[in-house]
Amino acid sequence: MRVARNRQALYPYLLIAPALLFVILVVLFPVLRALLMSFQNYDLRRPGAIGFIGLTNYAAVAGDPLFRAALVRTLIWVLFGVGLQFVVGFILALLLHQHFAGRGIVRSVSLIPWVTPGVLIGLMWRWIYDGNFGVLNDLLVRLGIIRDFIPFLARKGTAFPSVIATIVWQGIPFFSIMLLAGLQGIPSSLYEAADIDGARPRQKLFYITIPSLRNTIFVTTLLRIIWVANSVDVIYSMTEGGPAYATQTLSVYIFNKASSMNLGYASTMAVFLMLLLSFVAVPYLRSMFRKG
Amino acid sequence: MKKIVCILTLAALVLGGLSAGGSREAAPAKGVTITHWYWADNSAYSALMQEMVKDFNATNGKGITVAAEEYPWSGGKYSENLFTAVMGGGGPDTSSWKLTATPLFTANKLLARLDPFLDKWDRKSGIDPNLFAIMKAAGKSENTFVMPWNTQVLYVYYRPSMFKAAGIGVPKTYEEFLNAIKVLTRDTDGDGKIDVYGFGMRGAQGGQEPWGSFIHGRGGSLKDLTSAASVQGMQDFIDIFKNGFVPPSAPSDGFSQIIANFKSGKTAMTVHHTGSAIGMVETFGDDVSAFPFPAGKGQWTSMGDTENVIFESCKNKEAAFQWLAYLAAGKGQATWCEKTMNVPVYSEVQKLPVFQNNRFMKASMDSVSYAGIFPILDTTTEWISVTWPNTVARALFGELTARQAMEILQKDLYR
Repeated sequence: MRVARNRQALYPYLLIAPALLFVILVVLFPVLRALLMSFQNYDLRRPGAIGFIGLTNYAAVAGDPLFRAALVRTLIWVLFGVGLQFVVGFILALLLHQHFAGRGIVRSVSLIPWVTPGVLIGLMWRWIYDGNFGVLNDLLVRLGIIRDFIPFLARKGTAFPSVIATIVWQGIPFFSIMLLAGLQGIPSSLYEAADIDGARPRQKLFYITIPSLRNTIFVTTLLRIIWVANSVDVIYSMTEGGPAYATQTLSVYIFNKASSMNLGYASTMAVFLMLLLSFVAVPYLRSMFRKG
Repeated sequence: MKKIVCILTLAALVLGGLSAGGSREAAPAKGVTITHWYWADNSAYSALMQEMVKDFNATNGKGITVAAEEYPWSGGKYSENLFTAVMGGGGPDTSSWKLTATPLFTANKLLARLDPFLDKWDRKSGIDPNLFAIMKAAGKSENTFVMPWNTQVLYVYYRPSMFKAAGIGVPKTYEEFLNAIKVLTRDTDGDGKIDVYGFGMRGAQGGQEPWGSFIHGRGGSLKDLTSAASVQGMQDFIDIFKNGFVPPSAPSDGFSQIIANFKSGKTAMTVHHTGSAIGMVETFGDDVSAFPFPAGKGQWTSMGDTENVIFESCKNKEAAFQWLAYLAAGKGQATWCEKTMNVPVYSEVQKLPVFQNNRFMKASMDSVSYAGIFPILDTTTEWISVTWPNTVARALFGELTARQAMEILQKDLYR
């Protein structure tokens, strides 16, 4: 009787074992490997010198001005990138929630930036911003807003805002679609009751819509923060982190170092980024478990 | 009797197997497939490589089938992706190559020695021994790991009509070249805006090659970037940007941008090799020509290189070498170099009229005597892809003086 009960208790663990094994191999092992490499002089260009060096990489990263600049840039990248994506995405979601002719087509078309690969987006926008033939410059000159073409990606002052604008363009559909799904789940009876009480549109937005979307906003924003902080493709295909490191975020810096085969140093920076993102990931995971 | 027959049969099988193994050493096994990776600068070159592969497969007569897979060059990312693939136990049998990648691969023992094959190759003497010496030096070894294929010597493209309009001739000295950059920068329609810039500066990855010519023009060198002469060369580079003689987009301009700027008439001169000659002639006809980068106190131009290698993991190295030999001195050499206008490495192909009578090839040949390569160090790849473009951009923006920039460049290259 007791053996049978034990077997029954083990049964769920048996079922999740393959998935757990897969996660250990694909996620946990590389994470632990990267952690290990962060304590090593692991530069494949000099394989003879690979070995443990304790906290040397951590001290070097802490004293690296490029790392500090990339860290600050990452915070700006996330703040403006995700913030603007959310604001514009929310407005778009409210518009797409309205009834109008061709709504289905507009909803589909609005997804294009999200389904386009990041590298393609980067290449496309690189030419849009081009300082000699770019369509944006041409448009601005024709509208009389500027007199001379601006080399957007070749100036320190404009390169970073330009790549932020691109990531905003890419991410708007994610917020708009997720929030639209949330909007469709709000019972219309709430708005009808508000109408009877004489509520104004602004009051309905702040007292019904936003509170009802709180969980959706929380989860989508946290997810997007993690993705944007880790994103390399758009920046890399537009500027490769330049000019003069003006667009080098932490993830691009890590990518550059890893591409140069200095995996120890790259892993150390990746550990820093992981710790930074854990401030976002932990609340996200807690909310997931609470739901569970 | 049965036992004797069995033993004899077994012995025959074993001996037969051994001799087949021996012959495998001497000649490629029939029905061998070689996977080859390469990059192509444009779709025409992609098609050309596939045509050559078809030709090799049909004519090699040894049952070798090459399967060529194309990957993007991406400013050098090709070599990094290749390293990741081979280091991870995958990747191709052979690959197109750039010398700068050699130290990383040889340090990790990923390349096959070519000497055993080269020693018995009857066309080896048709390739300049200096080229093999450069290949060996890149691998920091007495062994040869890299098979020459073609070279690209950088020279200056210019528009004769623009020179005529500006009233100047082809510069003969470095000083005249700097002056030409200034004089050719013009407002051609009188609207107060610059329409033509004297020079198409490449500030993104790859720009270190023409930049090297400026450094040597003042008598500097790549060995000592902090010498007064090298710093002065850097100052010239900064000055032509600050004075507005190059497009303002220069700090982020890569290959596509400098070629587009030149082809659109936005720049009067730019530096590249014969790889873009066909496109230039298609655009301008006779109104485009070339001259070697002029001499100042020193003279240097970058010799680009493209080679091929066999990986240690390749199971049919003899067959792989047949493919490399086809590219270096066989029909593949003539076909590729003629259609892409790269400089051939095999002497018999160099003598063909198509290479002797071409103005761009002439500029390349005239530049060969002072052409050189960047120091092949294990730091070179990172220096080219990250340190150089960002440090030079900082100098162009005025964040660093020429000396400060050169000190960073020296330190990072020779670290």
